[in-house]
Amino acid sequence: MTKQYHTRTEKGDVGRYVLMPGDPGRVPIIASRLDNAVHIATNREYVTYTGSLSGVAVSVTSTGIGCPSSAIAIEELFKSGADTFIRVGTSGSFQPGTRSNDIAIATGSIRHEGTSSHYMPIEFPAVCDVSIVQAMRTAVSRLGLRHQVGISHSKDSYYGEVEPERSALPDELNDLWKAWRIGGAICSEMELSTICVVSSILGARAGGIMAMHGEGEFGTLDTLIDAAVESVRELIAMDQA
Amino acid sequence: METDGKQYHVHLKRGDVGKYVLLPGDPGRCEPISRLFDNPRHVATNREYVTYTGTLDGVPVSVTSTGIGCPSAAIAIEELVKCGADTFIRVGTSGHIQKDIHSGELAIINAAIRDEGTSRHYMPIEFPAIADIDVVLALQAAARKTGAKSRTGITQSKDSFYGQHEPERMGVAKDLLERWRAWEIGGALCSEMEASALFVIASMLRVRAGGVMMVHGKEPMPPLDILLETAVQGLREIIASDREKGRSVTL
Repeated sequence: MTKQYHTRTEKGDVGRYVLMPGDPGRVPIIASRLDNAVHIATNREYVTYTGSLSGVAVSVTSTGIGCPSSAIAIEELFKSGADTFIRVGTSGSFQPGTRSNDIAIATGSIRHEGTSSHYMPIEFPAVCDVSIVQAMRTAVSRLGLRHQVGISHSKDSYYGEVEPERSALPDELNDLWKAWRIGGAICSEMELSTICVVSSILGARAGGIMAMHGEGEFGTLDTLIDAAVESVRELIAMDQA
Repeated sequence: METDGKQYHVHLKRGDVGKYVLLPGDPGRCEPISRLFDNPRHVATNREYVTYTGTLDGVPVSVTSTGIGCPSAAIAIEELVKCGADTFIRVGTSGHIQKDIHSGELAIINAAIRDEGTSRHYMPIEFPAIADIDVVLALQAAARKTGAKSRTGITQSKDSFYGQHEPERMGVAKDLLERWRAWEIGGALCSEMEASALFVIASMLRVRAGGVMMVHGKEPMPPLDILLETAVQGLREIIASDREKGRSVTL
């Protein structure tokens, strides 16, 4: 069997469950929390490790920043046998009272990006799998972590968010940001909406768990990784029940 | 907007409805649904909005019809929230998009395609119409109890009934047919006319909404009993889960 063009993975290389950070540098750190993790492949921004949790194969693959590279990652991982994609990463926050390192559990995402429109008309919702949301909520509550459950914002421009005044259309960016807040969005990142929409087309499951930037210093990613790993463990238990 | 202290269209005021409300489209379905409540009473009728209130497990619950379409459904949910309601289950019938669904199967809705005009008056189109996770889980638990055959997924919320059923008649026939195919590829389960606006507005108002639809496949439709029983059981499940969490179940 030939390896997938970008991720350099093939059937048997990855588990059904894949944790997906944006940053390739975070892959070995997350993989160290799996049992018997081994390095599978590195190509471009795609780094893959596979290990196990509760005796079930689980992989970690980086997506790189943004929806274009994320779409490629899940397409090729699906062809390699994965069907459950969980984004794990950092994000901005929308709602007052959010503290840095509070966890965001996404139920769906705002399609404020270009990639998912190459898959589905814009009216189609980017929605997370109900079982994944349920597993994350159970895991995060068990760990006693501060968290919010709600809609994520997936954007194409990092600096459009953090320095909107530099954009040629600052009013538009600021007005939209206000709209997402009014709508109840909880966090802002750059990959989830496409992961959700492409998963819907593939018949796969998608979810996202993020550590938010809010009030106070942003600490380490340890609690986020704890929450993500515990969520997969919980999901495996639910799938086996 | 109020007249005589009552909301302009639904003709309800605070105290007339419970926090938990079932939302059928058809005003004619309110009375039969209310018979599944304890001590139901008719509260108001105005235009397409009919409301009954009763109790379930001692907690006040209501049923209010939305009329057909997102424009009237948006008015219903806005005014019901002003009366103190905060948890909504849309209940109704729908067409099938996935070809393997048979008539009578239930679709528990976790998100909706915004193929309508109303929700754009509330939020830019990129924003997803997402059901509340607690309502979805309550409906899944309810379907297990009533024994209803069900699956969970996406609905298409459209503005034109005949655009779906007789697309070839329309000036935009090609567009309608191609988009229907897109929703099928995307895995959407069913097609109805109210959920997307209810979900988007519920997100903005920080209230909870979900939906359960009986799907019309190729066969004739069975009676709606199992749908209505599942929706009412869904209210019981969410009331029980709210009580467990210490969330107030009354206004």
